[in-house]
Amino acid sequence: MTGAVDLAATARQAPPQPGFRVLVVDDDPDMAAFLGRLLAGQGMAVESVCDGESVMRSVLAAPPDLVVLDVMLPGISGFELCARLKADPATALIPVVLVTALEDHDSRVRGIQAGADDFLSKPVRREELLARVHTLRRLHETRRELEARRLAAEVQRKEAIRKAFSRYVSPRLAERIIGELGSERAAFGDAHRTEVVALFADLRGFTRLTESVEVGEVVGMLNEYFSVITEAAYRNEGTIFSMAGDSLLVGFNVPFPQPDAPLRAWRTAQDMVASFAPVLARWTQRGGMPTGIGLGIAAGEAIVGNVGSPHYMSYTVIGDAVNTAARLTQMANAGELLVSGAVYEAIRGAVPAGRLEPRGNVALRGKSEAIAVYSTRL
Amino acid sequence: MSESAYKVKVAKDLADLIPTFLSNRKKELEALRAALAAADFEQLRQLGHRMRGVGNSYGFDGVSDIGKHIEDGARSGDKASLEKHIAHYGEYLSRVQIAYE
Repeated sequence: MTGAVDLAATARQAPPQPGFRVLVVDDDPDMAAFLGRLLAGQGMAVESVCDGESVMRSVLAAPPDLVVLDVMLPGISGFELCARLKADPATALIPVVLVTALEDHDSRVRGIQAGADDFLSKPVRREELLARVHTLRRLHETRRELEARRLAAEVQRKEAIRKAFSRYVSPRLAERIIGELGSERAAFGDAHRTEVVALFADLRGFTRLTESVEVGEVVGMLNEYFSVITEAAYRNEGTIFSMAGDSLLVGFNVPFPQPDAPLRAWRTAQDMVASFAPVLARWTQRGGMPTGIGLGIAAGEAIVGNVGSPHYMSYTVIGDAVNTAARLTQMANAGELLVSGAVYEAIRGAVPAGRLEPRGNVALRGKSEAIAVYSTRL
Repeated sequence: MSESAYKVKVAKDLADLIPTFLSNRKKELEALRAALAAADFEQLRQLGHRMRGVGNSYGFDGVSDIGKHIEDGARSGDKASLEKHIAHYGEYLSRVQIAYE
């Protein structure tokens, strides 16, 4: 339509106000002013625009609570605009009232296809406009309230999961797990079989040490020990599966794949011993009782998942690799790491020659066949 | 159109919009005359269509009625009818009386 009327004189831009915001879209400035006046009279904040391009800009800059949209617009039609708003998840929930000619049934069908929430006919009757807008306002507010409740529940659920998983993994890994919740890649899903590298760490001679110090001191020492080796596991993105007595079980390649899992376990063992050294030095100076960490690493298939009752669930790893790592740890002396043949083969290229010495084939308790074992002092 | 047809009742809360509304109608009348002179029936149809929508909304039923005749006349290419209704529109705008309530 031509500029037969003075757009600038009529298209009123109401200043933004808190509360219910309505975007009126009409290329006829008198219609826009009329609709704006009626809605503003109901305490709504009204913004008027006269073309399609301005609609998208305005909606993206400050999403309104309702759009009253004339179908006959220059450039992008009201139908096209409505379809765009409904196709974008960010704007799909904004109710759209299409304004059509009274007898224009085809427009109504097209409007329904474009996702319009309601219709108004020109000439616009005051009572009809207000009744429709109030109904949509109530619906929109109810929908928004439900959405807010859903989001609050989602935040609460994620926080509970974050707390639960922070027992097992580093805060960074916990964030990643939370981020993947609900997706098909969710790592903490049902129990499943997977390749795992298991690392056990155990404090040699600690039981004897506890007999000669006060109970309170034992707890303090254990806290120091677990703090240091847990941080070492987190630095290498290991998952802590269990902490019992003075031993710690760390898994790699779970819950997320780690192609370098054997090397990570190797680095973790070194990191644990190096980080524990100053603590150990203090203990030795204080009590003189010899102690140190013994470690074992083994790799293989295991079952990983949440195991337990509805009241107590634990992220658990079960399998031969875990049993083998536990047996190797029992064999290891203070400051010694024993690795299975499979782990040795996986890391030998990255470990200085001669660093790991063969201990020959060793028959481990509970295993029918002897396995190759390699040893190193850390 | 009878004399009473030139009397309109407009809601008080629209009072300050009416001067611009009427100013735009006068510009519309000029646009109608220009479109008729150019035999631009599509432009006439669009202008008539807009008059139909906006007139009644403000309480100016006469604007909507004349707009409908202009839209119909433009569709059928009836120049004589268009001339008559555009002339009538000019008369209507010059004689319209507004009461706010």
